[in-house]
Amino acid sequence: MDSNMCQTSKSFDSETAEADASYEEENEHEIATAEFGEEEELKPVDSRPNPQLWITRNSSHADFDDDLENINISNFFHRVDSDQIIYQSKKRRLKLVGKYVMGDLLGEGSYGKVKEMLDSETLCRRAVKILKQRKLRRIPNGEQNVQREIKLLRKLDHKNVIKLFDELHNYEKQKMYLIMEFCVGSLQTMLDSTPDKKFPLWQAHDYFLQLIEGLEYLHSMRIIHKDIKPGNLLLSLENQLKISDLGVAETIDLFAKDDTCFIGQGSPAFQPPEIANGLEFFPGFKVDIWSSGVTLYNITTGRYPFEGDNIYRLFESIGKGVFTIPPEIQEPLRDLLLGMLEKDPYARFSLQRIKRHTWCTRQPSPEGLPKVPVPPLRGDMWHSLTVLPYLIEHYYDEPLEDASEDDGSQHEYITERQLNEMDERRKQRDRTFVVAENSNGNAQSSSSSSKKSSRWKKTISCMSFKTIPGCKQS
Amino acid sequence: MKMASHRENNIANYQIISILGHCFNQLAVVQLAKFIPTGAMVAIKKFDMDKIKEAYLVESEIILTRQLNHPNIIKYIVAFVSGPQVCVVSPLMAYGSCRDLLSRHFNEGLCEPAIILIIRDVLDALDYIHKKGYIHRAIRGSHILISDNGKACLAGLRYACPIVLNGKWQRSIHSFPSTTERNLNWLSPELLEQNLKGYNEKSDIYSIGIVVCELSNGIEPFAGMSKTLMLTEKVRGYAPSILDSTTIPRDENIESGGDCEISTNILNRRFSDDLHEITNLCLHREAYDRPTAGQLLTHPIFKNNKRLLPLPELLKPALPLSDRVGYDTV
Repeated sequence: MDSNMCQTSKSFDSETAEADASYEEENEHEIATAEFGEEEELKPVDSRPNPQLWITRNSSHADFDDDLENINISNFFHRVDSDQIIYQSKKRRLKLVGKYVMGDLLGEGSYGKVKEMLDSETLCRRAVKILKQRKLRRIPNGEQNVQREIKLLRKLDHKNVIKLFDELHNYEKQKMYLIMEFCVGSLQTMLDSTPDKKFPLWQAHDYFLQLIEGLEYLHSMRIIHKDIKPGNLLLSLENQLKISDLGVAETIDLFAKDDTCFIGQGSPAFQPPEIANGLEFFPGFKVDIWSSGVTLYNITTGRYPFEGDNIYRLFESIGKGVFTIPPEIQEPLRDLLLGMLEKDPYARFSLQRIKRHTWCTRQPSPEGLPKVPVPPLRGDMWHSLTVLPYLIEHYYDEPLEDASEDDGSQHEYITERQLNEMDERRKQRDRTFVVAENSNGNAQSSSSSSKKSSRWKKTISCMSFKTIPGCKQS
Repeated sequence: MKMASHRENNIANYQIISILGHCFNQLAVVQLAKFIPTGAMVAIKKFDMDKIKEAYLVESEIILTRQLNHPNIIKYIVAFVSGPQVCVVSPLMAYGSCRDLLSRHFNEGLCEPAIILIIRDVLDALDYIHKKGYIHRAIRGSHILISDNGKACLAGLRYACPIVLNGKWQRSIHSFPSTTERNLNWLSPELLEQNLKGYNEKSDIYSIGIVVCELSNGIEPFAGMSKTLMLTEKVRGYAPSILDSTTIPRDENIESGGDCEISTNILNRRFSDDLHEITNLCLHREAYDRPTAGQLLTHPIFKNNKRLLPLPELLKPALPLSDRVGYDTV
């Protein structure tokens, strides 16, 4: 199915295509430059005497796309071989936002980048959502949605709902930083990493129960999430599910007589028939039940109950409410799916009914398929602190491991091919490291770490805390 | 534990004598009190619940402490609510915490026999806690209390976490303790790293290593250092050591020109090889290389305790609180 069908409809407008393209672009770039830090720090440089016009992954398409239709593209752009694109590498620079040390990119939300951060006082790992006012204004209801989300998150406190810890503003740069709980990935990224795009039943069961618990809390706070889907269900280091992205959530008025809603937003593939059919009003909480049903269907079968080539076909199919469940899905899960994906919202299962359902109360045996793990982040299966290399660079001011192994020479300019090679090499090393660790790693890794620290053994002793020579205090 | 009788639940039955100290980020006060019906001296910890946001921590500490029963773990005689306060009554630990002893009397550290006696008691408690399926996560001098007869008791169980989840013994734990800011210097590298490898009860063993340094040197390693530098030091495998003539290179210290003023006392003293060994064992970068609490207890250093003087003798000139109170009130 078209990936757009699984995206929130708030981005459904003419900008989507462009936004998607730039997302791909930036994302790819980010991965390639991950070793060197932020993308701003790698700038194409013009080192040749006779520069020709070339376009890099980083150049702003915004300058061109206005006139694209009138211009023969092949005349306008010169083809450049990939190793002729040159990046200049800067050192990893420690960047502080408030008391937080900035780390690497974790993902891209609908409104901006999500990066890792480390609280320099508590040393607790955090994630930060970076919102650019400029970008927000381009999205319909962007600013309004963000304000609403912040207001909601501030008052929420549940183990299965993402927590907001802090908000920082940089008025000069027109940036907003939302400091949130650190997560290692979404159910979607995990599904994408498997061939069948599904979880073993026992694992799906674990996540589903946590989803229901979080949803019960949200509903008790009179909040309808409206965008429940695997991409919005994150996992913490402790394997705890966190419902995230309350950008289109709606709060029922305290004095409203029931949960009637009038607006449907959210990702098309997860919308209930009442929204697909364009009903004027509908019971709100049952919207979340339906999308949780689609989510459960999706994570247990690897498919979607309703599909369509475009949003109209999809809504047509959802509107009819007819779907099939693959034969391998047995009772009582079948019954649960049928109850949650009931066309009539009033006949659809309630949360209480779901909680009491036999499939929920009885845990499937953890046999059969192995657990789907959290996929590695840029080759790192352990999702280690990405802030650490910046701190090491800052405190010890020595070339990074990566650089020192790089033929011994310090590159000032790096071509894209070299960049890819280094990335490849790093991946290979990670792989061999994992193997080594599994076989007899302990001795090996401890010896290497003691080697690394030898330089400091003498200077930093227990008593020399008054001044630390050669170290800049943060 | 026997059910507390009515009179023990009543704050009016306690005559407050003085303040012993504060804890829980200054939101709880520890007072010395006399239980009027029997005349026994006790310590009352009062949590101001109007100011404490993490009420669950107070709750979990009381629940866990009351579940444990070991001579080297602090006992709660009774816990009750009095107005806006939660009060916890425990037997008086007359020498206070190891932190108190270090700051009041032993700025350059305790003598080796005292360290051995204290660490042995703490290891006993830790072995028990680990076997019960908990990781303490806050082993530090201020959480080790000494009774008037020289017994060390482990406290500070509000940071502990269960190893058993959903009825299963977990191979690794990933949760990061909340409000743990003041414990950070004692925590193991793997706990601080917060990655998918996680940590296990060996994390406490690392903290034991830091406590040995704290008790020997008078101050814990990494004290006064920025937290982020402490983190990188630990992750890179820097292992602190106990300071004596073997670990401080003499010439270098003189060269650095008073950069860190170390007293001649420390420069000339000599801890045993066993104590150095214990410290190094505990502070291995890889949790796998560290011994368990049970294994550590079999180390020869803990074997010849009988020949050591009792702890109260070793702690002189420090006096237990009850004696001091005696002087004050006479």
